Amino acid sequence: MSLRGPNPAARVTRSLLMLVVAIIFAMPLVWMAATSIKPESQAMSQGLSLLPDPVTSAPSQAMENYEAVLEDPTVDFPLYMRNTIVVVALGVFGCVISSVVVAYGLARVPMPGRKPLIVITIGTMLIPFPVLMAPLFMLYAKLGWIGTFLPLYAQFWLGNAFSIFLLHQFFKSLPKELDEAASIDGCSHWQTFRHIALPLSRNALAVVVLLHFTYMWNDFLAPLVFIVDREQFTLMLGLQLYQSKAGQTPWNLLMAASTMTVLPVLVVFVLTNRLFTRSSLSGSVKG
Amino acid sequence: MSESRSSLSGALDISRRASLGVIAASAAGFALFGPRPRQDVPKDRIVLDYWEKWTGAEGLAMQRLVDRFNASQSEIFVRYLSIGSIDQKAMIAVAGRSPPDILGLWSFNIPSFAEAGALMPLDELAAKSGIASANYAQAVWPMLTHRDQLFSLISTCGTIALYINDDRLAEAGLADAPAPATIEELDALSEALIERRPTGDIEKLGFIHTDPGWWSWLWGYHFGGSLLDETTGTATANAPENVRAYEWVQSYPKTYGSRELIKFQSGVGFYGTAQAPFLTGRVGLTIQGPWMANLIQAFAPDLNYRVVPMPTISSIADPSRPVGLVDGDVLTIPAGAREPEASFAFIAWMQEQKQIEEIATAHAKNSPLTSVSDAFIAGHPNRGITAHNAIAASDRAFRFPKTRVWPRYVSEFDAAFQRLWLLQDEPASMLTSINARAQVALDQAAAMRARRHG
Amino acid sequence: MSAAGRSRFAGLLWVSPWLVGLCVFFLAPMGLGAYYSMTNYSMLEPPLWVGLDNYTSLLKDDVFKQAVLNTIIYAAFVIPLSVVLALAIAGLLDVDSRLSRLVRVLVFTPTVVPLVASAMIWLWLFNGDHGLINAFLHMIGISGPNWLGERGFAMGALVIMALWSIGQPVVIYLAALQDVPRELYEAGQLDGMGPIRRFVHVAMPSIAPAVFFNVIIQTITAWQVFAAPYIMTEGGPDRSTYFYSHYLYDNAFLFQRMGYASAMAWVQLMLIAVCILAIYAVTRKLWSTDT
Repeated sequence: MSLRGPNPAARVTRSLLMLVVAIIFAMPLVWMAATSIKPESQAMSQGLSLLPDPVTSAPSQAMENYEAVLEDPTVDFPLYMRNTIVVVALGVFGCVISSVVVAYGLARVPMPGRKPLIVITIGTMLIPFPVLMAPLFMLYAKLGWIGTFLPLYAQFWLGNAFSIFLLHQFFKSLPKELDEAASIDGCSHWQTFRHIALPLSRNALAVVVLLHFTYMWNDFLAPLVFIVDREQFTLMLGLQLYQSKAGQTPWNLLMAASTMTVLPVLVVFVLTNRLFTRSSLSGSVKG
Repeated sequence: MSESRSSLSGALDISRRASLGVIAASAAGFALFGPRPRQDVPKDRIVLDYWEKWTGAEGLAMQRLVDRFNASQSEIFVRYLSIGSIDQKAMIAVAGRSPPDILGLWSFNIPSFAEAGALMPLDELAAKSGIASANYAQAVWPMLTHRDQLFSLISTCGTIALYINDDRLAEAGLADAPAPATIEELDALSEALIERRPTGDIEKLGFIHTDPGWWSWLWGYHFGGSLLDETTGTATANAPENVRAYEWVQSYPKTYGSRELIKFQSGVGFYGTAQAPFLTGRVGLTIQGPWMANLIQAFAPDLNYRVVPMPTISSIADPSRPVGLVDGDVLTIPAGAREPEASFAFIAWMQEQKQIEEIATAHAKNSPLTSVSDAFIAGHPNRGITAHNAIAASDRAFRFPKTRVWPRYVSEFDAAFQRLWLLQDEPASMLTSINARAQVALDQAAAMRARRHG
Repeated sequence: MSAAGRSRFAGLLWVSPWLVGLCVFFLAPMGLGAYYSMTNYSMLEPPLWVGLDNYTSLLKDDVFKQAVLNTIIYAAFVIPLSVVLALAIAGLLDVDSRLSRLVRVLVFTPTVVPLVASAMIWLWLFNGDHGLINAFLHMIGISGPNWLGERGFAMGALVIMALWSIGQPVVIYLAALQDVPRELYEAGQLDGMGPIRRFVHVAMPSIAPAVFFNVIIQTITAWQVFAAPYIMTEGGPDRSTYFYSHYLYDNAFLFQRMGYASAMAWVQLMLIAVCILAIYAVTRKLWSTDT
């Protein structure tokens, strides 16, 4: 959306600044990837070199490192990858379905106590996790859910505060005339939702999917507390296993494992970032 | 122009959607048909969940032993589960009333878990199996008990001793230097090992308390002090021996410069990597446990080194009674375990000399038993294992102060140690404030104990 | 369905899943937590009622006071810096070009990096002797400090690391900026405003709600900071980066003082709520003076 007749000097400055920003933000990750293809002795060595020495060893060293990660006998990354995919898929799916319904109800369907409910919803985001950890564990133990993946995703099938809030703001921003027109036509709330509001919310839903997916993929506190069996570990727990204090922490392998965990989310984001250039969140951030 | 743009972006959209679709499909495929957890639990046996903290090579060593136990009989099947932050997990599990059948903890967890009633006393079961304190090195049995009841048995143990990098000594022209037996000798040797860069920064040094920096609190013991009077429950952090000890600790940043030492510390590698400073010679003398041998074997197999007990001040030096920290990994049965006799069968099997020595060799740790086979000494990866064993057998070996508020006590020490090292506090006042805070914690714990048990 | 669908209480049906979730996964544990906060509870033994003792102990606890202070200092730096930086970057990237799309992705990627990996990376970047940051400073003639080993600098390092993860606010601002009517920009340009002034006077008022939203989120996040310092500095040196949540966690799981930790949690909630109300009040005042 550049304006007409941009000043070339301004354009160049802008581009230069963007490059600086790009380098600063990308550098740590580039270093992570670079370390992941180095031999162990060079991984923690002093100096600024990005490439392993000799450079020609890079492909074979990379193969060696990544193979070592994937075939590690005590840290079963392929299994953890599968576990994480299952948990995240179930969690995101449930979150979207429930949150969109709740958000629409909150925004458009009359109810008593709407305002306090919104405030409480936001309030839940204030609650520090350590406080919920122990009571939640006991609840899950009573339900017999410990030993399954349920503690990680079941909660989201009843909604998720952040997603609800985001979608609520979006639905609020839809013009009231749509509602009125629909009700004149004799539509119930549900029909208005299904045929008018929901299709319009596609982009907002995509944002919710992406954000919740990222959140669940990266979460390590909840799996740390609720997952006990090593076979049910998620990727984050697997990474921490690598980072055990008592033994050796092979940094190049740790970086290789990290790179592998980051890649899926990065790819998904690259493919979906288009959404952020449209009015996907329009209204979600208007008061 | 806008038309071709829109067709290009249309094409991009399609390829993006296609890629997303492919990713989603492959993820689904992977999830449905990909790796599965092993399901090899036999149906006809008692299945016991054994939670242990070890991963990597140490975990594998234990897994081998578990496999052998499972193969050696047909009533019990032990499932080894590697758990991170095991003491915290265990606490949550006990609180959630779903504890494991066998729980591997650290020895310093025993006071808090035992006092809270979270562990099953093992006295009767041990007596039936002929397990008694006489089987164990002098310093070990007290680790396993709390208030005269047995709550745990040993899996591995380690003592902390002084490691001397002989290659570094040779490089500094000190190849024939005797191992230091007193603090004064340690200081002298350490001073002789200092090497500086042209800029004046320290490139190599001898001994430094921050390598590895895992025990901020034990220096007083090597000066004849202690941190807790266990019978009265009184903190003794600011006893004169401890003050003397920490004056010695602070003499290092005072002599060499606090900033210089911190700079040095941040420039050396981490323990557990090939750049560990003891391995590279940048630190010539360090205290560590016997597991150091695994590190040496992995990254510097040709290193020449010696192991001696950590020196004490000359006034209490006695080579036949070395002073050193003893700690251990222990096996316990959580209260409420479903099959305590089965759990104990495994634990008792682990106490046999054969198993003890096997896991101690694999982990490069001491033997906790009084009876040590020659094969163990000969086959051990640590050439200084006799020194480590001698500490475990010594009557002056010390353990973690046995109190359930030990984590609070030690956190005060860790924070205060940093202040001391930065020359922002004096030892006497530092220890007095630690003592005061620790005493508060001890009194609170005592008050609660009185309320709960009358 | 129509008649029921039109009732005043119809909405309750719509939000019923969330109501259940609220009760089961938040209110009940919180209630339990409030109860625990008035007990001595190690998690291994049944809770023992102590009334308000935990709360009065907090007032006398020096470590608690330090943790609160550290958190306030951290928040005081992170919140304004991240708002300004995120806005600046969003404004910078608000053009439709290949480069800007690439940079957008790059700016967001830190938020998807696992924390364990981030902590390791920044641990090394901030290394006093050989870290990349000091190496870079050395190149321009500055002798860098030992970041994670010195009191003020450790906090600074954590702030910098937090700023690295501002991808999420940037993305939200960018989305909000899309909705700024182009005519307003053009009018500003006709008035002779340069790009920066256009941003400040045209764009920012339009996206003020987004800014408000992000300030709230940043406040909550800053107050709950835990994982990065836990891994990188372990609260040191000398507790200078020992934050509220870390002390809470230690009390709950290290010191076996779940009751005390629960009291801390409720106090934390109150402190955050006070901050948010303050922000809300200030913003309302700003808005009302504008219109």
